[in-house]
Amino acid sequence: MTATIAQYPASRIFTWRLLRRPGTATLTGLALALPALCFLGVFLWIPALRLIAAGFLTQDSRGALGGPVTLSHYIHFFDTSLYAHVLVVTLRISLATAAIAAVLGYPVAMVMTRSHPAIARIVTFITIAPLIVSVVVRTYGWQLILGNGPAGLLNYVLLSLGVIQSPLRLLYSEAAVVIGSLHVFLPMMVLPLASAIGKIHPRLEEAARTLGMPSWRVFHRVTLPLSLPGLAVGFTLVFSLTAGSFVTPAMLGGTNAQMLGNLIDQQITAVYDWPFGATIASVLIAIVVGVNLLSMRMLDGRRRAGA
Amino acid sequence: MNARLTGGMAWVLYATTGAIMLFVLAPLAVIVAMSVSANAFAAFPPRGFTLTWYGKVLADPEFLASLSFSAALAACATAGALLFGLPAAFALTRASVPGREALRVLLLSPLIFPVLVIGVALLRLFSDWNSNSAPLNLLIGHILVTTPYVVRTVTASLLLADVSLEEAARTLGAGVWRVFRRVTLPQIAPGVAAGALFAFMVSFDNYPISMWLADARYVPMPMLIYRQVASIFTPAVPAISTLMILFAFIMVVVMERLTGLRRAMAM
Repeated sequence: MTATIAQYPASRIFTWRLLRRPGTATLTGLALALPALCFLGVFLWIPALRLIAAGFLTQDSRGALGGPVTLSHYIHFFDTSLYAHVLVVTLRISLATAAIAAVLGYPVAMVMTRSHPAIARIVTFITIAPLIVSVVVRTYGWQLILGNGPAGLLNYVLLSLGVIQSPLRLLYSEAAVVIGSLHVFLPMMVLPLASAIGKIHPRLEEAARTLGMPSWRVFHRVTLPLSLPGLAVGFTLVFSLTAGSFVTPAMLGGTNAQMLGNLIDQQITAVYDWPFGATIASVLIAIVVGVNLLSMRMLDGRRRAGA
Repeated sequence: MNARLTGGMAWVLYATTGAIMLFVLAPLAVIVAMSVSANAFAAFPPRGFTLTWYGKVLADPEFLASLSFSAALAACATAGALLFGLPAAFALTRASVPGREALRVLLLSPLIFPVLVIGVALLRLFSDWNSNSAPLNLLIGHILVTTPYVVRTVTASLLLADVSLEEAARTLGAGVWRVFRRVTLPQIAPGVAAGALFAFMVSFDNYPISMWLADARYVPMPMLIYRQVASIFTPAVPAISTLMILFAFIMVVVMERLTGLRRAMAM
């Protein structure tokens, strides 16, 4: 999300000229940001660093954390096939969700930016409105649709139509988690795509069409390459948000599609193994921060190449 | 510069988008349909029509307590987010700070961290501090995740506001505070309001922070629904969920009226 904000060209950032008595403006600026920075420091950055540190500590029998410093929790995580499997499932679900969201996101983003304003407004409304509905509620809706047994909506419809003879097992699978995650995070792909496509000058596409390119080639040669920054932002958002989710895999994946978030919950709430829970959380942080840095570097490289 | 989609490709795009819109609305529509079904179990097809479940929900003290707690928590979290977020957005757009880009990344960092991990880190911190007040702990957590949304929306509004008006007012002798109140604020008010509503809903809907910090006495709405879904089916769940959907849609309409949805989200 930082990337979307970072896209504002520097020229748009004005400063109050009259505030700019040498020295004072800098101080005012810092003073304005200071409360937020202190709050974030005390309640986010320091606790996050302490959590990461906890992954290298040892827990004694009374639950207190202390020395010796050890890598054993990380070795335990990567060496146990169960945990390594959860890591792979998390990456697989996040990658599938982000990739499918990109494919579905393009048509929606194009209609949002390139159609009659009334249609564009309706599509924007339907895309964004569910974002304000709690993930728990939306995922519950998918439970009703994907429900195993003849009473699930999809099974009911397919059985009534005679497409299948016995109910499918849809719920509690990786596919169900991907469907649920897509529903939750699709707007995070559509919005950056729409803002990138909105910035492409329509004349470019028009010119390509006038020169005889078929529509799909115009998309492939003009729209797609010019919207890549939006795609990178959307992909990063959907991937990291999916990787860090808890509710969707808990309600739609069950024990068949556990993700890192569910493992953290299990280790800390049920097993009360803080160092190991912290280790898994650190792995999750590493994945998310890694993907974000990668995409920021990509976007920076493009901007520099373009300039 | 409004290029319209034309030709065969346009119809493919419209059809695909239509199908995706159905996909987006389907789970919500299903919940609404089940909420008025006379079936005591969430089974298809829904049978009959009844508003009994709504009556039961609205008379349930557990639901009402959870609703009022969530609303109060979200209101306080929004106030906190404005308190921290507004000045921070000003620092990002109206003052000359060194390392603006780094400052922006720092201020928006709660959006990068997995929310669940922020919750775990806070649980650890609060248990070390022996901070046992669930409402206070929840409030801190919720301010943390809502502030970046206010920063983002207000920053976007400030970038669109006309700075020359502010400079003119300054030249004419108005003080910094007066310029803010009489010139800047009226211009960004819709953006601030939309950002505040968005922050309110982010807190109201939050699960992955609350799951760590709530206790038995203070149960936010999403946790109440999650627990009821996980336990034996109670027919009240679709009714509660429908009320949540209705509330969210009302908020979305208000945001759309204020600034338009894409600007409210600053994306």
